[in-house]
Amino acid sequence: MERLRSSEKRGKALKLGRNEPKILVANRDLVLPGQPLAVGPIRPGDYVYVDKRGVLRSTKVGLADIREGEIRVVPLAGSYIPREGDLVVGTVSKVAGNTILVNINSAYPGVIIPPRGLRGRARAKYNLSPGDLVLAKIKAFDGVSAPLLSIEGEGLGKLVGGRVYMINPTRVPRVIGKRQSMLMLLKSKLGPEIVVGQNGVIWYNPKSLKHALLMEQVLAKIERESHVSGLSDRVLRLIESSGILDPRGSEAGEV
Amino acid sequence: MPLIVEKKPEVLITEDGIRTDGRGPLDLRPIKIQVGVLSRADGSAYLEWGGNRVLAAVFGPREVHPKHMALPDRALLRCRYNMAPFSTPERKRPGPDRRSVELSKVIREALLPSIFLERYPGTAIDVFVEILRSDAGTRVAGVTAASLALADAGIEMRGLVTAVAVGRVEDWVVVDPNHDEDQWGDADIPVAFLMEEKEITLLQLDGPMTQEQFDKALELASQAADLIYEVQKEALRRPYEAVRLEILRRGE
Repeated sequence: MERLRSSEKRGKALKLGRNEPKILVANRDLVLPGQPLAVGPIRPGDYVYVDKRGVLRSTKVGLADIREGEIRVVPLAGSYIPREGDLVVGTVSKVAGNTILVNINSAYPGVIIPPRGLRGRARAKYNLSPGDLVLAKIKAFDGVSAPLLSIEGEGLGKLVGGRVYMINPTRVPRVIGKRQSMLMLLKSKLGPEIVVGQNGVIWYNPKSLKHALLMEQVLAKIERESHVSGLSDRVLRLIESSGILDPRGSEAGEV
Repeated sequence: MPLIVEKKPEVLITEDGIRTDGRGPLDLRPIKIQVGVLSRADGSAYLEWGGNRVLAAVFGPREVHPKHMALPDRALLRCRYNMAPFSTPERKRPGPDRRSVELSKVIREALLPSIFLERYPGTAIDVFVEILRSDAGTRVAGVTAASLALADAGIEMRGLVTAVAVGRVEDWVVVDPNHDEDQWGDADIPVAFLMEEKEITLLQLDGPMTQEQFDKALELASQAADLIYEVQKEALRRPYEAVRLEILRRGE
């Protein structure tokens, strides 16, 4: 009898293992830290952990994102943690000898170290002073020491003029959009000079004050409404209803 | 000598279990929570629980100052519990005292197991619990609010922490002791749970209890925490749901 019971149990476990995973939330559901998302054979993606009993749970407030064989959470809150390869916009905070410290809106301050042996224009790129805005790429980050930034590359380096708007770093993917759709929309309607840092710092050079104010409105809307689908349409409607653009897409009047 | 001298009520709990504020032994005081109330903090929560008014704010993960305190493999969790000078009937002398140092410690330790500190090495997470008005059970109110502020700050967590106090008044085990019961009751147990797994992260006991009373108290605390947990979750969802509803109403 005892043996039968244990084999029954084993059978059950095997069956569950072979079965489809049991998913406890719908796609794009708002989930909270600790909320059970799924049980069974499914891979935990970003911001998902597996507890002692094998239940997949969210670690953040966010939206559930269920894919083929993976469940992850798209976070709605959180600060910026640097990742290698990210483009970031930062402010030079200190120049000390040969190292340039950059505030990249993160718990980890970025460092730029000019390569040796540079001359002329290549070296001039590194003549930065506190307060300068820079667009940089994260070259190396090990999670302990300060992330190493690089400004070698086209478009990288000091950003001159323009304005800065800061949003929550978790909303950056929505400002860029699927295959850059949102960013293209913003560039086509509000001017091409927009740089979106993964750290939530957005630099743009508006054609006029009206464009700047509209840009701020648009970014605030994206930040506030990013968890509700149909965002691109709403943003497009906001831009069109503002009346600063004529039908051909250029500005109606300068300020 | 204070102007109003507090006196012990003649009856703390009647024979049929009616308490000084009219509640039954298992009833909680009303709880109201709002998340994201401070725009300058990374995460915040405001909580009203009976007469308690608690504001919790979270900053971080951020750079550690002084730098030598940084931990190479995980974040440094710091917590400050502070009572406003106007939070008590008599003015409280501002600044940390023995009690608030202890409460800072126990609140920190109640929250500690809920946070994935190892995901933020070399940084600091600062939790501030400000008591604006106190009315018994401020430490559990502080833990409950602080956990929400952490979630609002987007710090990776195993789950929310919910805290509640249970006490003994004569032969009754009562949930969520009020001021009178806190002052003149026989025992008081603040408990905090890591809710999803029902792990206990804070347990203190002051006053004598029998084994049966203690077991019952823990059981009641667990049940009360379930109710508070629902309020917490609703509070965390509310801002997002409000935007969603607003968009629906506009018909976009």
